[in-house]
Amino acid sequence: MFDVRRTALCTILVAALTGFFSSGAVFADSPSVTAVLSNSEVAVGETVRLQIRITGSDAKPPGQITVDGLDIRQTGTEQHYEMNNFSISQSVIYNYTVLPMKAGKFKIPPQTVQAGGASLRTPELALNVSGSAGSSARGNSSTAQQSIDPRKIAFIELVVPKAQAYVGEAVPVVLKLCLNPRVRFQAIDQLDINAQGLTVQKLTKSGESMEAINGATYNVITFKTAMAAARTGKFEIPAMEVKAVALFPDRQPSTRNPRGPRSPFDIFNMDPFDDSLFGDLIGKPHDITIRSEPVTLEVKPLPSNAPANFSGAVGNFTMTAEANPKSVQVGDPITVTATISGRGSFDRVNAPSIEDDRGWHKYPPSSKFKQDDDVGISGAKTFETVLSPNEKKQTVPPLAFSYFDPVKEQYVTLRSEPVPIQVEGNALPAATLSAATANPQPAPEASARPASKPQDILYQLTELPVRSRSFTPLYARSVFWMAQLIPLLALLGTAGWKIRQARIDNREAQRIAALQQEATELMRKLRRKDTSPQEYFSQASRAVQVKTALARNVDPNVVDVEVAAKTFGLDEGERAQLRRLFARSDEMRYSGAQNGAGTTTPQDRHELLEFIESLRA
Amino acid sequence: MKQLIITLCAVGGLFAVSSTFAQADTPFAKANEEYATGHFKEAIDGYETLARSRQWSATLFYDLGNAYFRAGDFGRAILNYERALALEPRHPEADANLRIARDEARALELAVNAPERSLQLMTPNQYTIAAAIALWVGIFGIVILISARRRSAGLIALSILSLLIFAFAVAAIVWLDNGNKGSALAIVTDKGVEARVATAENANTVLALPPGSEIKIVSKRGDWIYAVLPNNLRGWISAKSAESVRL
Repeated sequence: MFDVRRTALCTILVAALTGFFSSGAVFADSPSVTAVLSNSEVAVGETVRLQIRITGSDAKPPGQITVDGLDIRQTGTEQHYEMNNFSISQSVIYNYTVLPMKAGKFKIPPQTVQAGGASLRTPELALNVSGSAGSSARGNSSTAQQSIDPRKIAFIELVVPKAQAYVGEAVPVVLKLCLNPRVRFQAIDQLDINAQGLTVQKLTKSGESMEAINGATYNVITFKTAMAAARTGKFEIPAMEVKAVALFPDRQPSTRNPRGPRSPFDIFNMDPFDDSLFGDLIGKPHDITIRSEPVTLEVKPLPSNAPANFSGAVGNFTMTAEANPKSVQVGDPITVTATISGRGSFDRVNAPSIEDDRGWHKYPPSSKFKQDDDVGISGAKTFETVLSPNEKKQTVPPLAFSYFDPVKEQYVTLRSEPVPIQVEGNALPAATLSAATANPQPAPEASARPASKPQDILYQLTELPVRSRSFTPLYARSVFWMAQLIPLLALLGTAGWKIRQARIDNREAQRIAALQQEATELMRKLRRKDTSPQEYFSQASRAVQVKTALARNVDPNVVDVEVAAKTFGLDEGERAQLRRLFARSDEMRYSGAQNGAGTTTPQDRHELLEFIESLRA
Repeated sequence: MKQLIITLCAVGGLFAVSSTFAQADTPFAKANEEYATGHFKEAIDGYETLARSRQWSATLFYDLGNAYFRAGDFGRAILNYERALALEPRHPEADANLRIARDEARALELAVNAPERSLQLMTPNQYTIAAAIALWVGIFGIVILISARRRSAGLIALSILSLLIFAFAVAAIVWLDNGNKGSALAIVTDKGVEARVATAENANTVLALPPGSEIKIVSKRGDWIYAVLPNNLRGWISAKSAESVRL
């Protein structure tokens, strides 16, 4: 019972979901229509794309769109499906190309379309068509020569920003090679500007972009260069002519029906989808000439009041200067770094001059140029000049650099600040001073100084040392390391001796310790009362020998009465007592235990023990 | 005994006289004669022959420097004075003539920093000997300290001092050897030499180097030398235009 109810519930749920999704397409967005033009401002001969988008099912295209002066042709249809929040929408886009046939303001009227069972109308569209060179080409399309206008395929624009310049002034030039993107070019000759009397730098490619020129889109390859005139006058940069090979069909419109059906891709009366064009895919190669317009440049002379240090630099510059090191001795080199940066003819920028070089020795400067642009008329030129002071100086003299500013139309002289330095030491001798100073106008005191004889070198030495010397450092010579064997062997010998000595000392210590232990043991036995007389006297004499051996550091077996008495400094009585001890010991040892065994009384033992204990060295 | 002494003196005197006469015929004496008679080119040839046979001495390079000076080749004159001073740093004549030659040539010198200038109080060879002595004294001191029953404070101090002297001497040797006047020192011998930023004749110039200018060779690449230049600059110069001081 429960299973039946559950199965029925699932069936209802599936049916509801199916119904919801199936109705989704039905209940999608309501039908609508839009119409747009890709461009509302065009020239005669240029095409515009028209799109009509119909959203909703069962869309039907509009009929033929006819506007007087416009050739409107359908080029294709696109279908789009979108799903958004379980809602599926369908739209159809109808594409048209619109080719204006004449100039004027046109209106594309509303078009009626069918979608979703409803009748919809597109909005009215406005198109302004201007007249252009293309119109004449279009108008004269019947003539074969003008049907393919080379100027519409490719041309060169030479952009010179100024019509007047000064002698030596670097004028930037931009050259634009404009190529129709719909034409394929197989080869284009090298671009080169040949202008007599003008120095033109090498052309540098600076970029490539798509640009709209005169209503048409071109692939523009931009080159940059700079030119300068070496003399005055009016110079004409002649029209550039560059040979190229372009691929396009050579079928002429005159062979076609001018009023017949025309492909929307028919540009310049060439239809790439034309059957004849598909015969050779994209056309046949044609030799064409890409041209530019001539440009005139008037070159004016520089004013006559040029500063003495003017080297021909024209432009706008700034200068910085620094010197290092700041603290030197007389005769030491100081590097003066001058950086001239700005915009102008850097090839004519020479090292700045030193305003007062008295007391200085100047070395030829070095230079390096770091350009900021493609053609080298903007950047920074750095000069490094080494100066050597011949006397004490407080500052590095100011540097001066002159140029002509074409904007201000006057000469400008830049001067650096004197760089403070510290020069120590005595002035160099006059002989070197005269060689060092290159001042064209020497100071009076310098000119008054008598020309002293140049320093002469010292005498020749005639005694050669017996042994020749070596440049090899001592530590790199084998003899040095061989010599180190001597202290090394001495070290090893010392170490060995020390080790041996330590071992010997160790044995001696062990022997002394054994003797001390033996002496202690003997004294302990002597204090006992149960020892036999034979043992007693033997141990007593041995104790004396051991104590003597410890005192004299000798073998105890070689100690006799005299040695012991001498060691402990005994008097005659003590000596006699010691003699008796040794005699009794020998007697006991060699005559047997029965001889005199009972002769030792405890009193005798006590006295003998005290005597032995009193023995001290 | 008396006869033996007289015989020894006679033999010694004969040897001295013979050596004096023998020296008069040596290539060195001949070169000196050429120099004295103003034939500087021939004198240079004679001295150079001796130098090529590795009979090096400060006197030989000093005389060779003088001959080059007289011949007007200040770059090589300075080079040989420097060589004489490298062999014998306390050579007063070479030092004096080097100054004169530098003045004449307007040669540029490498700057020597204060530590290096202080360390130049001793030569690297003297530092080497000092280091060796200090090392052995230190090692002996340590061995004695290890083996002795009682360690003396004086011996400990001596050992530490010796090892410090050794370390200082080694550092001085390394510093001097790598310094601007060390083993990489070279002298510009050609005229019109310009240091460049790259190994090309048309590369930008870093510094114009008059003959006799000092450079410190950093590395070599083919026919070019990358060197530290006076005034803390660096650049490439042709390997043919400079010679190392130390042969």
